[in-house]
Amino acid sequence: MSSESAIEVSDLTKYYGKLLAVDQISFEVKGKELFGLLGPNGAGKTTTIRMICGMLRPTSGTIVVAGFDVSQKPEEVKRRIGLVPDISNLFGELSARVNLEFMGKLYSLDRKTRRERIDQVLELFQLKERQNDLVKYYSKGMHRRLTIAAALIHQPEILVMDEPTSGLDAQTARLVREIITDLNKEGRTVLLTTHQIDEADRLCQRVGIIDRGHLIALNTPEELKNSTEGMRALEIKILDGVDMQRWLPIINEAEGIERAFLAEGKIRVLSKDLPQAIPTVVNLVDKHGGKIDSIAVAQPTLEDAFINLTGKSIREEPMSKEDYLKRRLARSGMR
Amino acid sequence: MKTFKPFTLLMHAFYIAENDLRQSFKSVRHVVWSLLFPIFMMFTFSFRYGVPGADISFMNFLIPGIVGMTAMFGSINETMSIVWDKSLGVFDRILAAPVSSTAIIVGKTMAGAVMGVISALVLLVIGSLLFGVSFGNIGFVLLIVVLASFSFTGIGTIISGLASEPREAMMLSNLLRFPMMFFGGVFFEVDKMPMPLPYISRALPLTYATEGIRTAAMSGDLAMISVDAIVLIAYTVGTIVVGSKMLMRLMTR
Repeated sequence: MSSESAIEVSDLTKYYGKLLAVDQISFEVKGKELFGLLGPNGAGKTTTIRMICGMLRPTSGTIVVAGFDVSQKPEEVKRRIGLVPDISNLFGELSARVNLEFMGKLYSLDRKTRRERIDQVLELFQLKERQNDLVKYYSKGMHRRLTIAAALIHQPEILVMDEPTSGLDAQTARLVREIITDLNKEGRTVLLTTHQIDEADRLCQRVGIIDRGHLIALNTPEELKNSTEGMRALEIKILDGVDMQRWLPIINEAEGIERAFLAEGKIRVLSKDLPQAIPTVVNLVDKHGGKIDSIAVAQPTLEDAFINLTGKSIREEPMSKEDYLKRRLARSGMR
Repeated sequence: MKTFKPFTLLMHAFYIAENDLRQSFKSVRHVVWSLLFPIFMMFTFSFRYGVPGADISFMNFLIPGIVGMTAMFGSINETMSIVWDKSLGVFDRILAAPVSSTAIIVGKTMAGAVMGVISALVLLVIGSLLFGVSFGNIGFVLLIVVLASFSFTGIGTIISGLASEPREAMMLSNLLRFPMMFFGGVFFEVDKMPMPLPYISRALPLTYATEGIRTAAMSGDLAMISVDAIVLIAYTVGTIVVGSKMLMRLMTR
């Protein structure tokens, strides 16, 4: 695989019945790139990658993976992609080794190659000692490692990972991120989805921000941060005793404030005119009987860019009924 | 467009069936439980009825029926694993691999048929060892058992196509299996039931399975079981065509 495009998605659209899950998305993942699709739950990330992997038929649009059109040559595409789903979907009643055996067989590897590759990945992911234990007795971290191992058994040139670190403890998540970086350094193209902004920031060379089925921005994390265009951020902590939430509408209403939202227990205020915004906010808080504990000017983050672009925070947003439905439709295997 | 590779397809189907059966037999309890029900039934009836018929003992009548019924339970259950696979996400593993949907369906059908045949054989052995039921032409008995098992996998695929989650599948399968059990000639002779029940019975594949096994157990005449065999083959083709259409639609959504 040269450094030309590994995945080319053009005008990709997917309806589940009348529900629009993905709306005319176009992007390109270059060969050997580590590319992230960032977006909140229900944004259409899983639907998109399932279509890329040939598991879901697009309503319209085309996907070309490693030079093969997914709708024309799904099996050629599947041979070149290793998919790591967001939940562990291994056979719990079988041992790790038998699970990997089965995967090897599905990819038509001969017995000798199978054995070699299985030993190789078990070694790589430090699962060798537990290889004959039933997978249902594995810990979450081991599950995730084995899921990644299973996706590598046919040595795919492209690795597609759906929320690779979601639901993992901090330590395992760090390990998984290291694995991802290593796999990419070895020359594998990686496409991952995430709803964690810092993960996209730290891990990915380029990030596509996806929201409500639309791709709203695509660039390197640095460029995305710069896209806040003169926007700067304030971090305010208010001594109030009550929840910080009630301050958001008050501050959001004020003039010269682009957006205010909660981030890590503080109110984060985005503004293009900070010298103007600081006294405005201070006065407002005072007027409503609050006391400012701390106030600081902060560097714009990818989250600021995200909020600026989508108009909402990625984490506090509760899932709407429609988003929940889309999530179920995308993940429930076939229906 | 798609290149057709029969060998790869068959190998994939074989691997899928192997993997399915490996899981089923891994949980021995599951297999034992599903066999306990017909075994228990056999014993219960043996206590209640001694010799009801004129020239054929009731056990000679009942046990071939139970063998057919067990084939039905085993094979529908195994094929329905598709629904569990879907809900656990393991089906995605197969969908993401370069495996044709035909291979998936053939594999699942193979697993279902093998399970049906194995379950039926266990009951057959128990029946002949403990109750002295003779299975006259064992070759023909096996032929009917195999055909019946395949015809029930078709029902299993249809259920898998209809049900979106395991509980629904269980409900649907019970909805089909219990009436089949009572009207399928397991306990009563189909033609002696009051009208219009015989018509219902004649529409069920289990009727032909139980009749076929019974006839084969008594005589070595191929002509005697040919109607049953043909009906079972027709059922197999029909249900598998419908079932796979439903599954294909879901897989290539």
